[in-house]
Amino acid sequence: MGGSEERVVAVIMVGGPTKGTRFRPLSLNTPKPLFPLAGQPMVNHPISACKKIPNLAQIYLIGLYEERDFALFVSSISNELRVPVRYLKEDKPHGSAGGLYNFRDQIMEESPSHIFLLNCDVCCSFPLAEMLVVHRSYGGMGTILVIKVSPESASQFGELVADPVTNELLHYTEKPETFVSDRINCGVYLFTPDIFTAVQDVSSQRKDRATLRRISSFEALQPANRSLPSDFVRLDQDILSPLAGKKQFYVYETTDYWEQIKTPGMSLKCSGLYLAQFRHTSPHLLASGEGMKTAAISGNVYIHPSAKVHPTAKIGPSASISANARIGAGVRLVNCIILDDVEIKENAVVIHAIVGWKSSIGRWSRVQASGDHNAKLGVTILGESVMVEDEVVVINSIVLPNKTMNVSVQEEIIL
Amino acid sequence: MKALILVGGFGTRLRPLTLSVPKPLVDFANKPMILHQIEALKAIGVTEVVLAINYQPEVMLNFLKDFEAKLEIKITCSQETEPLGTAGPLALARDKLIDKSGEPFFVLNSDVISEYPLREMIEFHKSHGGEASIMVTKVDEPSKYGVVVTEESTGKVERFVEKPKLFVGNKINAGIYLLNPSVLDRIQLRPTSIEKEVFPEIAAEGKLYAMVLPGFWMDIGQPRDYITGLRLYLDSLRKKASPKLAAGTHIIGNVLVDETAKIGEGCLIGPDVAIGPGCVVEPGVRLSRCTVMRGVRIKKHACISSSIIGWHSTVGQWARVENMTILGEDVHVCDEIYSNGGVVLPHKEIKSSILKPEIVM
Repeated sequence: MGGSEERVVAVIMVGGPTKGTRFRPLSLNTPKPLFPLAGQPMVNHPISACKKIPNLAQIYLIGLYEERDFALFVSSISNELRVPVRYLKEDKPHGSAGGLYNFRDQIMEESPSHIFLLNCDVCCSFPLAEMLVVHRSYGGMGTILVIKVSPESASQFGELVADPVTNELLHYTEKPETFVSDRINCGVYLFTPDIFTAVQDVSSQRKDRATLRRISSFEALQPANRSLPSDFVRLDQDILSPLAGKKQFYVYETTDYWEQIKTPGMSLKCSGLYLAQFRHTSPHLLASGEGMKTAAISGNVYIHPSAKVHPTAKIGPSASISANARIGAGVRLVNCIILDDVEIKENAVVIHAIVGWKSSIGRWSRVQASGDHNAKLGVTILGESVMVEDEVVVINSIVLPNKTMNVSVQEEIIL
Repeated sequence: MKALILVGGFGTRLRPLTLSVPKPLVDFANKPMILHQIEALKAIGVTEVVLAINYQPEVMLNFLKDFEAKLEIKITCSQETEPLGTAGPLALARDKLIDKSGEPFFVLNSDVISEYPLREMIEFHKSHGGEASIMVTKVDEPSKYGVVVTEESTGKVERFVEKPKLFVGNKINAGIYLLNPSVLDRIQLRPTSIEKEVFPEIAAEGKLYAMVLPGFWMDIGQPRDYITGLRLYLDSLRKKASPKLAAGTHIIGNVLVDETAKIGEGCLIGPDVAIGPGCVVEPGVRLSRCTVMRGVRIKKHACISSSIIGWHSTVGQWARVENMTILGEDVHVCDEIYSNGGVVLPHKEIKSSILKPEIVM
């Protein structure tokens, strides 16, 4: 089948600045793909997973952010992981499949036999090598990573039906109102270069329909796709749905964890999931708490080497402390992300929260939340440079950058 | 003559508008807030204005180049690397404020709008011969502010009382000062409060005098006061019979409409409305007590009151927007939506009604 020189390319879609407002207030200061989970930028996790792909030639990041937002990151990650990573900026949104097609020349530069397409804001174990093996055995145009979820939550995603024996994709529908299936699309795909032809077909069909509409006024009354330009092609509705059941696409089911990282609350949950994964795959990254001079560590904790943590503090489970943070005596941190340059003073408590860059948490103050990662105010978020004064309590709230909290609040958004 | 405008920091109280531009550049009555002050200073012969800022100097400097050329006044920035309070910035800008002439210089607070009777203030300052003059204004609820207690006949300041629990007076610091260069010798380059440290010292020596501000005064640093401030400002334009106010059968009360804005048939606009450049107000729209910023489109039959509509936003057909709704830049309210006090961050689409005041991020 494949020659020994079968090269594989991975493409990671990173999104753009004005699109995802759900990640505010954290996205006011940093592009979502660069927000740290378990001590590493969000996009690092799929990039590291790509290293498991045999014969990986190149990784492309495609997004709408300015090139300068990713320049530093791309050069340092390429060096660190010894894998070429490039950022390609889309001039306008092309849809999930259109984006891939837009850069087909670069992607096909090294004539890869296979192309992975990953979404940056997906948190999972990325079983990419296994997908490659089964994909070759199916021989289709693409293989989709799927996972089983509860029937109630399935309607938030793309639901698919697959043949239990051949694993062929039989039916695909995006966010249906009625129950179709409890298997959903994880946002991780493997394609052969035929995918580009499929996208091109969709574009041409749309152009033809547009021409037809100009000729026949009856066509103009059709509601679907009326306003989509011909180069805006969505993977789900425009490719997977129509081609399901035509022996083109197959599924690979994962039983590991899977989450979408759409909100700050979910980013805290996913940071915890990745910390738990490090316990198995890279335990050296986690803090060990051995020795007299280190703080007490409970569960999975990441502490950046430049952070200073007082020995009487107790950290974890599921805590992540970024560069240059200073954690004072007697501080208790549970299920939280402490970002760069934060100062947490003596005896403060932080539970179920994200504390933004350069913020300061006063002595005996308390920053906490219910811990419901899905609720709007279920995780307390402090933006960049927020000062919480001594003894102040901030519960189930979101505080935008550059504010000083000198009175206690609950269930509030502080602009 | 020189002047310093205390611009300060992040303008968080005017969010979501200040998430898009720094506060001094937020438009008020169709003009950036700071331009009102710079024009008033230029009118009485100030040749150089120093802006004391600690946030986004690049954005400010770009705009300022424009104003400098148009107004023929020199504008410079003095940037604080750490917040210096209300007096520290004066020390930082010392070299720019004093020259050989020994003339006094103005200090204005950038959040304030008023009629700026600066010429009268210069006369007042000369006549009492003291070291510093401040404008005070009468308010209904003095305990919200710092009260200035003065000697009735001369205006000499006896003392400052911060947020007094019992009534001591109803005049508060209006944020407009005229200071002799010697005042700078009293201010060290560190975070210092002019009301709490510097002025009380000068008052104790009997060298501080207060003039009651004639006309309106408002601190427009937050949305509710911004809307009230617009009413006061337009009212003062009416008193001066300003030609800038709009007229017509579709206009009620005081309304400002930029010449590049378009208003359709069957609209009823006013009172107390400002419509910015390039706006399109489609037929059948009702606007009252609101500000519509540059590039906004208000679609047919919509009704907006007591709200601020941010730059380049759209309000859909038959939408009703009221009760301190603040739309940030590029917010799109869909057709038939009701917003009761929604505060919406930039780049959002509002597809479902907001029934009670809430922040939409």
